[in-house]
Amino acid sequence: MPSSLLSPVERDFIRSSILSGTRSDGRGPSDYRTPELVTCLIPQTDGSARCRLGDGTDVLVSVKAEVGSVDLSSGGDTGRVVCNVEASPSANQSFEGRGADELNNELTRALDRAIAGPQGGLDLKALCIVPGAHCWDIHVDALILDDGGNLMDALFMAVRAALCTSRIPATTTQDVGEGQVEFEVVDDVDQAKAIAGSKDLPLCVTVHQIGEGHVVDATPTEALCSSAQIHVSFNGSGQLCALQKGGSGPIEPSVLMSMMQTGREQAKKLLSWVDGELVRQEKLDKEQRRLGQAPTSQALF
Amino acid sequence: MTDRRRIQGPEMSVPPLGMGEEDSQGLPGQDSAPVVIGKDGLRNDGRLPEAPRPMFLRTGLVTQASGSAFLECGRIKAVAAVYGPRQEKRQYFTGAETGRLYCEFKFSTFSGRVRRGHQRDALEKEYSQFMQQALAPAIHLDLLPKSAIDIYVQILEEDGSAAALAAAITVASTALADAGIEMLDMVTGCAVGYVDGQVLVDCTAKEAAAAQGELVLSRMPSMGDYTHIHHAGSVEYDLVMQAVEVSGDTCAKIHGVVNKALLAPKEE
Repeated sequence: MPSSLLSPVERDFIRSSILSGTRSDGRGPSDYRTPELVTCLIPQTDGSARCRLGDGTDVLVSVKAEVGSVDLSSGGDTGRVVCNVEASPSANQSFEGRGADELNNELTRALDRAIAGPQGGLDLKALCIVPGAHCWDIHVDALILDDGGNLMDALFMAVRAALCTSRIPATTTQDVGEGQVEFEVVDDVDQAKAIAGSKDLPLCVTVHQIGEGHVVDATPTEALCSSAQIHVSFNGSGQLCALQKGGSGPIEPSVLMSMMQTGREQAKKLLSWVDGELVRQEKLDKEQRRLGQAPTSQALF
Repeated sequence: MTDRRRIQGPEMSVPPLGMGEEDSQGLPGQDSAPVVIGKDGLRNDGRLPEAPRPMFLRTGLVTQASGSAFLECGRIKAVAAVYGPRQEKRQYFTGAETGRLYCEFKFSTFSGRVRRGHQRDALEKEYSQFMQQALAPAIHLDLLPKSAIDIYVQILEEDGSAAALAAAITVASTALADAGIEMLDMVTGCAVGYVDGQVLVDCTAKEAAAAQGELVLSRMPSMGDYTHIHHAGSVEYDLVMQAVEVSGDTCAKIHGVVNKALLAPKEE
């Protein structure tokens, strides 16, 4: 988080403007900045995406699948999803060294809680290659390149986009007798398949409590004024997958209810936007393939 | 990562023989899904779904600390020690006008069936952060500029990690009151699990393993405000709302236990 100072006057200004229904950048309390989502931009990964929000926030996510050995204590027939979030010191100088440890841990655990278990929607059983022996480890690595507020939401959007567009190599198994099974990873790119259940991944919406009102998609200055925030993650079928409070202020029960309701409505809108964007990009990609054109190269900057 | 020079124990701890039938049931590798709620609507240990386990709470366990408390709830055993307020050594440009609260949540290496590392892992770091968020709203940190308070919670025995966090919040706030630190209200924590569309209060590890998700809530019982909430598991929105309500009520019940512990005459 940016550790800039905020004067009491500025704080008052932001609080009263939210109460009157207009924020300093002209948005209403439940208006979202239009996100910018780009997928498949790192060729050496199995899936990648980048999400930008407003003129600041910038999150890059890569998905890589590796063959690992199954965890026998949990049945031995499931794959794994391993999340890691790292805030780059380029985003904020205070992230240098161990400065981002707390933020990294908070974001990693929040991502883990929402997508790594059965609540994430991914079919973990389908990630098993040889039951009792080998499985796919899906490494979801996120890099925070810039912080313009609302990192968590941008992170979840990028993760959903990256996992939805990821392709895992196909495998063939062969029984060699005596209970031994061998497998082979198929090199053919066209046989690679999407991760089962990636359409059920949740999206997160952060709602900040500022004074008596609450806003979605807060800018860094607004976040500095907020006493508490909640992160709610909903999936496509409207189930609540994860919920977490942040910030060191209390929340009244009735306020919590209305904040969660705001989050629920916003999550629905955001989900349909992200899905629409993914369909649009896939269509564009298919069209280019059909015409035999080289895909438009995605430049990072 | 184990440090072989410091602890030369085995990777796994094995319970001694005859620790009771309850232990042998939760062993990994058993296929049959555990029955959590019996036909009579009672749980395995005879509790109603909305009944927490009985709680034992006492202050003044650690002699060297400014304040301390010990909590036992079923198999959970937690010790909290509060040191401070002391002078803040680190000089921050921001936030010096209010005091700072540092929390450290630690599972003992021997707290569960599987041995834990002695270094803080990601879960313990997160729980430390959650404790800080849960307790800070109740403390008058604005009266303690340029100072810091340290809270250390050690879980001696665990029975589900969500329940351990709830216990840690309750025991830490009791220790804070024991230390004589000015607070707006106590903070009590409660963990619930979702099993077959039902909300089970204060789940044991076995119940938590069978649950579709868990929720931890902490509350200032007299003021009614929530200070921390987190939930995981895909469940319907309305069930979460029900869980928030049930756990909020349980927090109020725990408040009675905390009050009793604080008012109890101290043994010399």
